Amino acid sequence: MIDLDEMREKWAEHDRKLDTSIRLNRQILKTLQVNKARWALRRMAVILILGAIATLAVIVPLGAFIYANISEPRFALPAAALDLIAIAILAAQIAQAAIALEIDYSRPVAAIQKRLETLRIVRIRYIQGIFLAAALVWTPLLIVSFKGFFGLDAYSLFPGAWLAGNALFGLAVIPLIIWLFSKFGSDRVMDNLAGYNLKAARGFLATLSEFEDEQA
Amino acid sequence: MTTPEAQERFQALVDGHKKIVYKVCHSYCRNPDDRDDLAQEILTQLWRSFASFDPRYRFSTWMYRIALNVAISFYRRERVIERHVAPSGGQLLQVIDDQAGEPEEIERLYRFIEALDPLNKALVLLYLDGNSYQEIAEVLGISETNVGTKINRLKKAMKEELT
Repeated sequence: MIDLDEMREKWAEHDRKLDTSIRLNRQILKTLQVNKARWALRRMAVILILGAIATLAVIVPLGAFIYANISEPRFALPAAALDLIAIAILAAQIAQAAIALEIDYSRPVAAIQKRLETLRIVRIRYIQGIFLAAALVWTPLLIVSFKGFFGLDAYSLFPGAWLAGNALFGLAVIPLIIWLFSKFGSDRVMDNLAGYNLKAARGFLATLSEFEDEQA
Repeated sequence: MTTPEAQERFQALVDGHKKIVYKVCHSYCRNPDDRDDLAQEILTQLWRSFASFDPRYRFSTWMYRIALNVAISFYRRERVIERHVAPSGGQLLQVIDDQAGEPEEIERLYRFIEALDPLNKALVLLYLDGNSYQEIAEVLGISETNVGTKINRLKKAMKEELT
């Protein structure tokens, strides 16, 4: 009969044998030490911070646009909608960067794995949010950019029914996108977009909680 | 902290604890190429975190935490931590005396560990390496009672599996 405690002794023998049977290739280790290769989590945080700066560069002029057109709700409201979406994107970017920067691999395993899994889920939600927002922003973006960049009034350039139809189409597409996410959410396409599988991330997070909480 | 002295100190410490890297890689990767990739990931992460290592604490505890965190992420095909080490063209941990290979019991044990989920792999590895419940709890970030419960459960599972 073999048990874990007996195996502990065998393992100790194995451990002693490893002292002499393995050698660390110091040349490769040295190469790793001087390697200026990217640190993926930090790189991800830097990309997100740059993205946040770019998003700020959208939020600020939109704010100015809203202020300039405050007396004309037909321009101010679409701009406010765009601004809200941009602020939500900025918040998500900051949240991801903060989580990524906080990850310290020398902290206990359960805590770090939980952080990594949380980052995965936030990232998936962020990608999904971008898709949903993309369906909604088309019409307000047209109205605001025509007015902001060219001083043109999209309401008089395009028939009202056409603009309303586009806005409604954007709304109607949302349930379709949600359905597609639920249908193909764990599919390779979504995994490649977000980098991860939401179902797997949630599953592992549940396993982690169970692993942490179980007492007897 | 990238002075030559720091590099030397790091190399000496890692050399003294290279078995941890070897055992973690063997427990989390079946494929030898993956093992070497994982070893490089672990060593790179160790070096990146070395500046924050507090010498008042045991190097092995710190090393276990990093090695296991990297291994679990690697095992789960973690893409947040993309592979950032170019192939080195050589093995980081070289087996220089492989005449007899691993004894059958150790091979079976590695296979048993391999079949466990990534968190229980870490637990068994730490237990087999002679760590106390308190040390295991410190590395994993769970309570000692929890460690005891899980070890007992794994002992039962192992008896069923290996007898």
